[in-house]
Amino acid sequence: MIAHVVWRLWRRAAVNLWRARLPSLVSVFTIGLALFIGASFVLGLFTARTLLTSWGAQDNITLYLDPQTTESQALALSQQIQARGDLEVQYVDPAAALRRLRSDLGELASALDGLTRNPLPPSLEVKPRVPLAVPAVRVLAAELGQLGGVRDVEYGREWLDKLEALGRGLRAFGAGALLAVIGAALLVVANTIRLAVYARRDEIEIMKLVGATDRYVRAPFLMEGALQGLLGAAIAVGAVFAAQQWLLPRATQAFVYATGIGPPHLLPLHAAALLAGGALVGLVGSWIAVARFLKI
Amino acid sequence: MIQLFHVKKVYPGDPPVLDDITLRVQKGEFIWLTGPSGAGKSTLLRLLFCAEKPTSGRILIGGKNLGRLSQSGVPYLRRNLGIVFQDFKLLDNRTVLENVGYALEVLGASDAEIRERARKRLEQVGLSHKAGSLPRRLSGGEQQRVAIARALVNEPTILLADEPTGNLDPSLTDSILQLLFDANARGTTVVVATHDRTLLQRWHRRTVGLERGKVVFDA
Repeated sequence: MIAHVVWRLWRRAAVNLWRARLPSLVSVFTIGLALFIGASFVLGLFTARTLLTSWGAQDNITLYLDPQTTESQALALSQQIQARGDLEVQYVDPAAALRRLRSDLGELASALDGLTRNPLPPSLEVKPRVPLAVPAVRVLAAELGQLGGVRDVEYGREWLDKLEALGRGLRAFGAGALLAVIGAALLVVANTIRLAVYARRDEIEIMKLVGATDRYVRAPFLMEGALQGLLGAAIAVGAVFAAQQWLLPRATQAFVYATGIGPPHLLPLHAAALLAGGALVGLVGSWIAVARFLKI
Repeated sequence: MIQLFHVKKVYPGDPPVLDDITLRVQKGEFIWLTGPSGAGKSTLLRLLFCAEKPTSGRILIGGKNLGRLSQSGVPYLRRNLGIVFQDFKLLDNRTVLENVGYALEVLGASDAEIRERARKRLEQVGLSHKAGSLPRRLSGGEQQRVAIARALVNEPTILLADEPTGNLDPSLTDSILQLLFDANARGTTVVVATHDRTLLQRWHRRTVGLERGKVVFDA
């Protein structure tokens, strides 16, 4: 389409929005709210994932060695593992392990007095330098279990399985909630545009009688929908930034304390994606509304 | 210019609105389409501007078979037609000049061209001094003149008018009809549907009479 026609259609879409200020505002705020909730969900999910990752990685992997392993063999194995560069390794000899057990048992420690020899094997405590996601911890544990002299590997498997299931549940719930929220926004836009189409049915009739194509009749309504979506998304972006500016600094300290890293932030790229998403929601909503009304 | 062959229009459950209509209108002709209310005049016009399709029969406009016209081809046919209604069909929230220019907007004309051509048409119908007014501030006769200016602004080859003076005071009838005769004198084929027999008696033109959906006379 020629540039001046496109410009004229945009102008008309803006004027029409202005003429129907109230329903348009309702639509804009609904999209804004839906996208704000959606964006908060996504950021919440990122946060939950970060937390799960960091908690998952805090469980050390313990390699129990053959009881016959000498200290020099254990230290050689420790150096071999440390040579990978991504892991910290600490050797725990049987005597130290027994002392730790005594201290953990507290008053019950006297039960160990009857032992004629130390039953605990030497072990290596391995900790990733960078927090790993749950599946990565599992792969690492399997790899270390293959090393010579390692009899058993302990890495809190049950705990990690639960974390992983929780992560999956959160993702599924987040995706479902996001879909529901966006579906609601679509319906609101479709209804607003449907009202606009109904209010302007005379205009549409006249447009078609003077030879306007369906595309030409549809265009201003689609543009109105897109504008509403864009404005709604701008409100959502503003609200998320505002929340980050005023609410998050207080929460951040607690978050850093809990996880050792900062919470995720809405980046300019995310904001652009949100704006594009808003325009798309508006566009699709008005497309649904207009499609039925063009049979004149 | 306009040809109808055995055209029939039936709505389910009702007697035919149009029944076996065969009619030929020459290029540059002016015809009255007359008959009592419910005779099928408006339906015939609606078939001509493709607001409806005939149940059977064939309609040709400028040699083009409307039955073979796809839905996407209808707007391009309508750009060669000017249509005038009894209730004017003007947009209340647009000025007189904008209403007239509306037909040019959909063709993609530039703002300057729209203004120039719309002003020229308004001058022809004697309303250039009302260009900035809203339609509701105009009398019925003036509103119909605006509607005629809009119908003619594209310089259509055919002008269809459905009871163009039906809502007007008889004293305004002459000026409205004169605009249609002027367009006809410039070469536009004009079809006017009216139930007002006094018009036919005062202005002798070819007259096609309809009754209960059939052509009862053509003289």
